[in-house]
Amino acid sequence: MGKKTLIVLLMVAMAAVLYPLYESYQGSEQLTELGQYYADNGVQDTGAANLVTSVVVTYRGLDTLGEVTILFLAASVISFFLSFKKEDRKESREIRNITEILTTASQVLIPMIYMLGVYIFVNGHLTPGGGFQGGAVIASGTLLMFLSNPDFKLSHKVIHYVESTSGVVFVLIGVLGIFMAGGFLDNRILGLGEVNTLFSAGAIPVIYTFLGLKVGTELSNVLGIFVESQNEQ
Amino acid sequence: MGNILDILGGIFLVVGSLSLLIASIGIYRMPDFYNRIQVGTKASTFGLLLIVVGVALISPITWIGKLIALMLFVLFTNPISSHVIARAAYFTKVPFTKETKVDKLHDVISEGHMKKVKNNG
Repeated sequence: MGKKTLIVLLMVAMAAVLYPLYESYQGSEQLTELGQYYADNGVQDTGAANLVTSVVVTYRGLDTLGEVTILFLAASVISFFLSFKKEDRKESREIRNITEILTTASQVLIPMIYMLGVYIFVNGHLTPGGGFQGGAVIASGTLLMFLSNPDFKLSHKVIHYVESTSGVVFVLIGVLGIFMAGGFLDNRILGLGEVNTLFSAGAIPVIYTFLGLKVGTELSNVLGIFVESQNEQ
Repeated sequence: MGNILDILGGIFLVVGSLSLLIASIGIYRMPDFYNRIQVGTKASTFGLLLIVVGVALISPITWIGKLIALMLFVLFTNPISSHVIARAAYFTKVPFTKETKVDKLHDVISEGHMKKVKNNG
């Protein structure tokens, strides 16, 4: 009982602390100047039907590049801390038999999940979603692969090639923007096309495709490292 | 014609959301983990399917393809993930409720449900 009372007291205290914030909050009725600019000119400038994407990839593309770098750093740090010395590893480990239901279903599901991931990042300029979300979906497909098949091993070589190539292409497209269009990561190096079709919005689908590949391989790599660092007998 | 489809779709939506409501009440009311996951999976799969069917009835032309894919996906993933989670819970010895009388899985698995896997990497 004492614990529950304590929880209630804590909640009341939190409410008391946070109430002034709620009280003084005033939602702004109008967009800020910058937001207004995006809303008015976003579709015209970038050709992307999804305004969020036009901001994330084009107007604030440099920040996205920074986010990708952060993700890369996080993955590197994880692999640095979790990597085992070869001689410390045990020969084998015991696991429970994987159920037949999971192994059978995963054969159907894994391609579907990968396809969904690709769909999400290819359609990033039309629908909600994009490179990061698609990449996360792809990594979840890899996770299913690990779960359904204990002998599955990720090829680090392929992962590293795909990851670094996508990163380099992302930056190269950005640099191309300087020479062929208005500035770094300008998407108008390709034709804008007709709004709301798959081949539109200039370089955004290309950027998002490589972004999705990069995020997907990075997260898959992290999962692979987690699986490999299991060492209990 | 469109009107009848709208009404039908609305009925499906309401029944689906009721089913989801029952699922959430069930998760709160059931005594142990296994009962909860069973209630959650069955009722929420059913409710989701009904809601998707309802949406398909309301706007059939634009959405039907995607909705069928969505239905198949839910039908595949929801029961299987619950099955895997429940199995993992069983083997990590999540406690049963006291009223449990039958444990068929225990009779089926004797020795040899563990498997050796080579560590490579």
